[in-house]
Amino acid sequence: MAEVLVVDDSKMMRDMVVACLRAEPGLSFTHASSGLEAIERLSLKPFDLVVLDLNMPDIGGVEVVEFVRSQDTLRSLPIVIVTTRGDEESRARVLAAGANRFMTKPFTPEGILGEVRGLLGAKGAP
Amino acid sequence: MSRPVNLADFLPPYLAEVEELLGLAHTQLLTLETAARGGAPQPRAVRELFRVLHTIKGLSAMVDVEPVVALTHLMEASVRAADRAGGKLPPASIEPLLQGLKAVEVRVRALGAGKPVPPAPSALLDALEGLEGAERRAAPRAAAPAEVQFDLEPALASKLSASEREQLTQGVQGGRRALRVDFAPSPQRSAAGLTINTVRERVSQVAEIVKVVPLSRPGGAPGSGLVFALLVLSSGPDAALAAAVEVAPAEVRLVAQPPPPPEEDAALASGALAGDLSADPSSDLAGVLPEAPLDEEVAPQRHGIVRVETARLDEAMERLAALVVTRSRLQRAAAALTASGANTRELVQILQENARQLRDLRAAIVRVRMVKVGEVLERLPLIVRGLRRSTGKQVALQLELGAAELDKAVGDRLFPAIVHLVRNAVDHALEPPEERRRAGKPEEGLLRIVCRERSNSQLEVQVSDDGRGVDAAAVARRAGVPVPQSDEELLELLCRPGLSTREEVTTTSGRGMGMDIVKRIAVDQLGGELRLQTEAGVGTTFTLRVPLTISIVDAFVFESGQQRYAVPVATVEELVEVDAARLVRGPGGAEARGEVQILERRGQAVPLLRLATVLGQPAGEGGGQKALVVRQRGEPVAFAVDRMLGQQEIVIRPLEDVLVKVRGVSGATDLGDGRPTLVLDLIALGGGAAAEAQRRERVS
Repeated sequence: MAEVLVVDDSKMMRDMVVACLRAEPGLSFTHASSGLEAIERLSLKPFDLVVLDLNMPDIGGVEVVEFVRSQDTLRSLPIVIVTTRGDEESRARVLAAGANRFMTKPFTPEGILGEVRGLLGAKGAP
Repeated sequence: MSRPVNLADFLPPYLAEVEELLGLAHTQLLTLETAARGGAPQPRAVRELFRVLHTIKGLSAMVDVEPVVALTHLMEASVRAADRAGGKLPPASIEPLLQGLKAVEVRVRALGAGKPVPPAPSALLDALEGLEGAERRAAPRAAAPAEVQFDLEPALASKLSASEREQLTQGVQGGRRALRVDFAPSPQRSAAGLTINTVRERVSQVAEIVKVVPLSRPGGAPGSGLVFALLVLSSGPDAALAAAVEVAPAEVRLVAQPPPPPEEDAALASGALAGDLSADPSSDLAGVLPEAPLDEEVAPQRHGIVRVETARLDEAMERLAALVVTRSRLQRAAAALTASGANTRELVQILQENARQLRDLRAAIVRVRMVKVGEVLERLPLIVRGLRRSTGKQVALQLELGAAELDKAVGDRLFPAIVHLVRNAVDHALEPPEERRRAGKPEEGLLRIVCRERSNSQLEVQVSDDGRGVDAAAVARRAGVPVPQSDEELLELLCRPGLSTREEVTTTSGRGMGMDIVKRIAVDQLGGELRLQTEAGVGTTFTLRVPLTISIVDAFVFESGQQRYAVPVATVEELVEVDAARLVRGPGGAEARGEVQILERRGQAVPLLRLATVLGQPAGEGGGQKALVVRQRGEPVAFAVDRMLGQQEIVIRPLEDVLVKVRGVSGATDLGDGRPTLVLDLIALGGGAAAEAQRRERVS
């Protein structure tokens, strides 16, 4: 069972992400409604993958990625950024900070599923 | 294989979430408009507005509403420019942004109604596009250097954006202290409900949060090195902040404090200076600031809140009602067992426990339906703004909404009535500036809305103005009646349905238009009260008192004895056709409460009472061909009615007056035509007669 943390301040968006990823068997989902909550959850329990929004109240996704990558225990945690058009300038920053993928809303169910499968599959590989 | 995901399935949550976000956006934008008049930057409001617009854009992209994406994209760009300018939104940007929100709202509503979504108006798109450039040019890139020194470690200082630094500086210069307190999450704390979300919520009750920075502390056990540093602005005691985070007061650290006032001003500073007003929302003076910005203290905290459609709450209530019905059946079955000599002591105890749990569950569901009155009325500032523009009058709006909560269904009904009163006050009661000047009043009229909970079951809403007052003589003249001698009589006259159509009455009397509608909502639909106090040249106050909760049920509506009644569907077991040829005259002949006849239903004899006779009324036309079957003490009883009128949702309001309280009448309702209709409790009604008939039937 792979644990996925879905982070977005919009509940509808989190529900959409989960609905799309349900097609992949063996995933279990945890929601976080803010960047701070995401960091807290990551500190309390291990996860296999994070799907992360960029624009949130308190701290944004870029800061979450920067924090995660600064932690020894979380350095290799796969992160998919799912964000809204207009965040293009954040793309370079967030990829430089260490996010693995960058997807723009609207995404398709197949699109996000493909990214997640790819990252989870590659995780065990040397 | 699971069903493929259809993103269009997300339309209902989309509509609900965007509606809420639009409400937030309006609030922030009006805060910014108020702030723009005073010239103060509002970095927080700008950032929040940006986030809200960005979220609407993202959600709209997912459900493919391109016109909304286009609109919010441009609005967002303009707000982003304002953020970069240190939180200053030029006043000229407010109107196009409000129009943008309106355009979004219109499109989202169309989508919700299943209509085609019109493209965004190109003139509006152009206007919004023009804003960004204007804001960039207006942006004072080099903000005045902060005179405040912050005592922050570099790891923390480097995380502060320019606008957050500006926010801290402003707060400190305004007389508050900048403080830091750390929260370290742990599995134990999380299990006890203490998480960064709850901590933020609790801290925001006692201070303004500027920034929360996650820091990792080396040397701790693996995974336990995380600490959240909260930077806040506060004018309260350290202990309150420490308590919110559950740490010792000594762990609250001072980051910066306000400069001491110059000596000559020191005496003044102990009083309520302007700086203190913004810091202390509970001070009396803060309440009378005209249209105080809806900032931290007033903006709803939405963390940890789940949105639920009202229909789902209604569904939960219905399921609960079904459970209650099953429970009473269970109770009857247990009583029968007891009567037959079985040992049911434990069963009876369980049933009692079960009854208590059901009551608790009902109370819990009712609580879930409650919304803050502030949320119900959050659009009033926007409405007043529109009225200011359309009438050219200057109006200060004072809201004292308090923390009362009321049933969502009451709120939905109440809001239009209050909007009506507000509209009347601005349109008709408040005089134009020159007239006010002549009358020796300030040019700016005052509109005040105060909500308070009168008891745990009633909300009082007062809508007051300092306008011209209602001219009773003018109203009477136009209505062609004698001049009312009291405010009560005047209100009665104003609420006459025909009166408001007379345009002249409304403009000369200072009130009018649709007061009958206000009365209909407050009194007839919600079972509340409406009062009026008015003084010529001084002003008018309307007071509404409404119950905090109402019960809405599905009901059969019918006629009996030339009267109309309603009965909750849940209490009716069956609706049957009465075939006069197959009726059997009941034993015992004519009774004081009417002759009891016997109806045959699936081989069972059911006593049939004529409802009109039970109620002591002459039978109407229609001959009692329909009957409602209910269960009284476990046995079926049929009540014949003259004519079924249909089935509809009704709001039952209780009859509180003991003089009107009658066995068999559970309340009254308004079916929409303004005439009160009694809601009957057939189970309680005529119980004696039916039981007697049943007994005789068995004997014979």
